Formats: sequence, structure tokens, C-alpha cells
Amino acid sequence: MTTMFNFLTNGTNWLVASFEGYGLPLLQATSITLSLALVSLVVGLFLAFVFTSLESVSFKPIAWLMSLFTLTIRALPELLIVVAIYNGLPLLLILLNDGFTLPLGFTSLTIQVDIADFNINPFLCGVMALSLLYAVYASQTLRGAFKAISHGQWEAAQVLGLSRWRTFTRIIIPQMWRYALPGLSNQWLILLKDTALVSAIAINDLMMQTKGIIARTKQPFLWYVIAMLIYLLISIISQKIIQRIEKRSLYFEQTAKKQL
Amino acid sequence: MSDNFFYYLQIISKGLPDTLSLGAAGILSAGILAIILTCLLSLNHPIMNKAIRAYIIIFTGSPLLVQIFLIYFGPSQFEVVLSRFPTFYAMLSSPWFCAYLALTLNSAAYTTQIFYGSLKAVPLGQWQACSALGMNKKQALKIIVPYALKRALSTYSNEVVFIIKGTALASMIPVMDVMKYSNILNGEYYDFSIFIAAGLIYLLINGLLSIIMRIIEKRSLVFEN
Repeated sequence: MTTMFNFLTNGTNWLVASFEGYGLPLLQATSITLSLALVSLVVGLFLAFVFTSLESVSFKPIAWLMSLFTLTIRALPELLIVVAIYNGLPLLLILLNDGFTLPLGFTSLTIQVDIADFNINPFLCGVMALSLLYAVYASQTLRGAFKAISHGQWEAAQVLGLSRWRTFTRIIIPQMWRYALPGLSNQWLILLKDTALVSAIAINDLMMQTKGIIARTKQPFLWYVIAMLIYLLISIISQKIIQRIEKRSLYFEQTAKKQL
Repeated sequence: MSDNFFYYLQIISKGLPDTLSLGAAGILSAGILAIILTCLLSLNHPIMNKAIRAYIIIFTGSPLLVQIFLIYFGPSQFEVVLSRFPTFYAMLSSPWFCAYLALTLNSAAYTTQIFYGSLKAVPLGQWQACSALGMNKKQALKIIVPYALKRALSTYSNEVVFIIKGTALASMIPVMDVMKYSNILNGEYYDFSIFIAAGLIYLLINGLLSIIMRIIEKRSLVFEN
């Protein structure tokens, strides 16, 4: 019994001692991971709306191109997209700075932008890559959700004299959320896990920080388990929050059931 | 430009054996493990169910990259203990094996969710029909699991593509796959067409796989029409 107790106290002492000095950097890294995910979520949702509307344009070639684009992105590894954007963006800036001419048959268009700083921000690249990844999956969900709203809603709003924009924002979107939420929240969980990839492009996120701590402490197992638990905790907490939001979005259906 | 492109393609395709072997081995063993776990879950053993649920939460709740790093870099903390089991330690020192193990465990967790979901979606009448014929639970599972698996195929084909995409993460530990070769080339030449070449290869693999999965799905659901 005493040996058991000694073992336990020694174990906790050892754990507390190993944490000393590394708690704060880990917390900062976690906040970077979280902010990266949240910013990508907002940008990605916006992009998803753009993709969905482009995919449902009545001019078919644009719709096909958009579908081809989203299909291609979905078939590529996430790591490849992150690394390609990180490496491709400076090249694009150099190209813009040097200037190039677009031959347009009878005339040609020269594009040249003076760029002072070629050092791109890795955080920005991370947001670009992650929001793109989120958007290509979310646009699929949104398209399904829009299809689930019957066309009668549009017609009814038109009869009431609402403009198309007002109909879209006040009538269609509120109804669409409950169809879109399960898919969107699932992709949020995927996005959260994809943030680990940005450690490949020099962002000091949770993964990178863990690597740094391991280089000093030589305890890879302990620290990777801790990183894993942090990701797990974030996932579980966001799942709980999602459940609440989903419950609220179905609120009016529940009250209807109660009355029956 | 095009000469360079074909040169890049040539170099990058040296990584195909590792990518394909990781993908194929991962898909096969994750599928088998998922079928076993699905059957175990359907037996409704309280302790075993809790254990399997915990496994699923851990492996679906954390990034694949952390799992790969944990399995590849983690064991070196216990070098003294592990060096007593040389064969086991040698296996855990091989990057290919670690990537394979992580991919399998990760994907099996997702696949179990898919398979078990479709098993639960099988109408109750099927189970009742089995028990009416005097079958016990095991015999009924033999009938119902294949049926549920066929229904799960369309969702499962997404997971197969995810495994292939996941193999790219193995390049972060020294596995010489397509992604690794393109990273090496990029370090040397710094040219965007390297990534286009790598993307083309992944596109081809995933496109072919999706087509194959669709054919299998059509064949196996023929009885429903």
C-alpha cells in the first residue's frame, strides 16, 4: 500500500516537474491553433457560399469549372495543398512584381504590381489553405441544404413583395441552417484536426511547440500524448457546443411535437 | 517547361511504391479491423463496448499527424525497456511500419463508425427474420453484416480516398513517398510545377480508386433493384 502511494506521489511530482515552464508556451500554441481554426472557419464559410453560388450559376461552363475545381481539391492530400500554397504564393508575388502580358487577340493587357515585401505571412497561408479545404467540403453541404428548401418559399416571399436579397437573407438562410448544421459542424471537426498540418509551414502552433518542447526534454511520448489530449479536449468541447446549437436550431420543431 | 515537368514527374513517381503500398495495406487492414470491431460492438458487451467507444473517440478526435508522430517518435522515450524486445523495437523504428500502424488505427476508427452506423440502420425486421428462422446472434450477424457493409459502401469510398490522402502525412516522418520526393525536389529547384506533378499523381490514384469503388458498389447492390 505504501509503495503504491509512494509510486503515485512520485509519479505526480514527476509530472508536475515536467510541466514546469512548459505550460505557458503550450497554452499560447493552443490559442494559435484555435485562432487559426476559427479564422479559417469564418473565411471558409464565406468561400463556401461563393462556391455554392458559382456552382449553381445558370451559365453552365462556370458551374462545371467550379465543380471540377472542388472535386480536384477534394482529391488532393491536405498536406500538399498547404505546402503548395506556402511555396506558390511568393512565386505568384514575384510574377506580379516582374509583370506579365496577357495576349487578348487585338490587344494585350500588361499586369505589373510593385510589391515591396516578398516575405509572406505563414499564418495567412495557413488560413488560405485551411479555409479553401473547409470551403470545398462545406459548399457541398450548403448546396444540399439549399435544395432542401422548397421553391415555394421563394415564390411566397415574392408574393409578399420581398426583394431577392431580403428573401435570401431573411427567409432562406434561417431555414437552411438546420439542414446544413450537421454537415458543417462535422467539417469543423475535420478542420480542427487539419490545423496540425500547418506545423509543416513554420507556424508555431500546438504541433510545432510540442516538437520544440520535446527537443529540450527528450520525452517524446509524454508530450505527444499531451498534445493529443489537448486536441481531443478541443474536439470534445466543440462537439458539446455543436450539440447545443443543433438543439436550438431544431427548437421550433420540438415545441411543435410537444403540442401534439 | 514541359521537359522539366516530365523530369519532375519521373523523380516523383519513385515515391509511388511507398504511397501505394501504404495506401493498399492501410485500406485492407483498416477494413478488416473495422469489420471485427463492428461485430464486437453489435454483441453489446458493456465493458468491451466502452473500450471500443473510447478507442474511436481518441483516434477520431485527434489529428492523424499527432498519431503518426506519437507512434514513430514516442517509443524512443522507453529505449531501455524496448531494447529487450529487439524485433518489436526494430519494427517500431521503421518509418513505413509506424505510418502504416497509425493510418490503420486512425482509419479503422472512422470506418467502424461508418460500418456500425449502417448496421444499426438495417431494419429490425431483418433481425426478427433471422431469429424466426432459429438463428442465434452469431449466425444472424453472418447474414446481416455483409448486407450492412454493402449499404455502407458509398460512404466508405470517401474513407478510402481519405486513407490515400493520409499517406501524404507519412512524408513528415522519413517515408519516401510521393509527397517526400516532391518536397525534396522543391528544396532543390523551387518550382511550382513540382506540386502540380505531385497533385496529378494523387488525382490519378484517387480518381481510379473512386471509379473502382463505384463499380464495386453498383455490383454489390445489384440485388436491390
